[in-house]
Amino acid sequence: MIGSIPANDVSLPALAIPETALKDKPVMALATDSALIAAAVGGAEAAFRELFRRHTPHLLQFVARVLGPASSDAEDVVQDTWLRAYPALVTFRNESSFSTWLCSVGLRAALDSMRRGRRHIAETLFDDDSATELPPAEDRMDIESAIARLAPGYRMVLVLHDVEGFTHEEIGLQLGIAPGTSKAQLFKARRVMRALLSGREKHDVQ
Amino acid sequence: MMYNDDNELTRDRIAELSTLPREMQPSDLLEERVVRALRNDGHFGSAPRIRQSRGFGIALRIAAAIALFAGGVATGRYLLATDAPQSASATAPATIVRDRDTTVPNPETRTVNRNEETIVAEREMWL
Repeated sequence: MIGSIPANDVSLPALAIPETALKDKPVMALATDSALIAAAVGGAEAAFRELFRRHTPHLLQFVARVLGPASSDAEDVVQDTWLRAYPALVTFRNESSFSTWLCSVGLRAALDSMRRGRRHIAETLFDDDSATELPPAEDRMDIESAIARLAPGYRMVLVLHDVEGFTHEEIGLQLGIAPGTSKAQLFKARRVMRALLSGREKHDVQ
Repeated sequence: MMYNDDNELTRDRIAELSTLPREMQPSDLLEERVVRALRNDGHFGSAPRIRQSRGFGIALRIAAAIALFAGGVATGRYLLATDAPQSASATAPATIVRDRDTTVPNPETRTVNRNEETIVAEREMWL
């Protein structure tokens, strides 16, 4: 279940936007995601812009968290996400919220960005216990910094599950891992998070 | 349950994770960057036109090449056709004159013919 993701309007019917309304910002703001997607697929730039303004703030925050220390690349990854998402809009079937679908595209774009940058070797994402350097005991961290300090595999699962509300089955599908692996990664991620937030030394948690 | 480990995050911490800020405002330029990139990729009206014009341009070039070839062939045939009468030009005036003699009663031609007849008659007299 995707409890924390704002499902804008997935239950509403996809009403067509009259062509005359495509340049009317207040009308566009009231349009459902489905109607905007249909108009954008038909080549309506204004509808796409409205979709972009509506969903990019959440997408950007999500991508920045997933990238962690590389969050300065977040806007590039968001751009890449939209460039992948637009041609694929025709395949969107309203089975999940558009925001969830977009985040899954963003996750793949973020993974590709990490692979390209060789910041982390993708194959070791989910076997990596060593990438988290814990701070000295006196340096307590805020929760955002602690997430950023997690190893990539831990960070992704923690963000997807605890922040975004994805289930382990959904995370498994997104990351190409078994749900059990996702559960194990989350357990380890939370353990490291606790150590980071309480400022304990690394050897205390391993 | 596995999650009751002593090192696990507390429920409060997990709840805190779910209440983290969910939005981050992008820079003002990001929207334009994305729209421009999509246009360059051939979306949003202008780009399909670019694609069409590319296809149209190729078709136009092919048509121009065919027209040029056909024009060359036509020109060649015309030149060949005009070469043949030029080679037969020596006999052509006589033919024309003869035709005119039988069909067109042109006074000037008659004058010329009379002169020729006179010349022929003089030659016969010399002989």
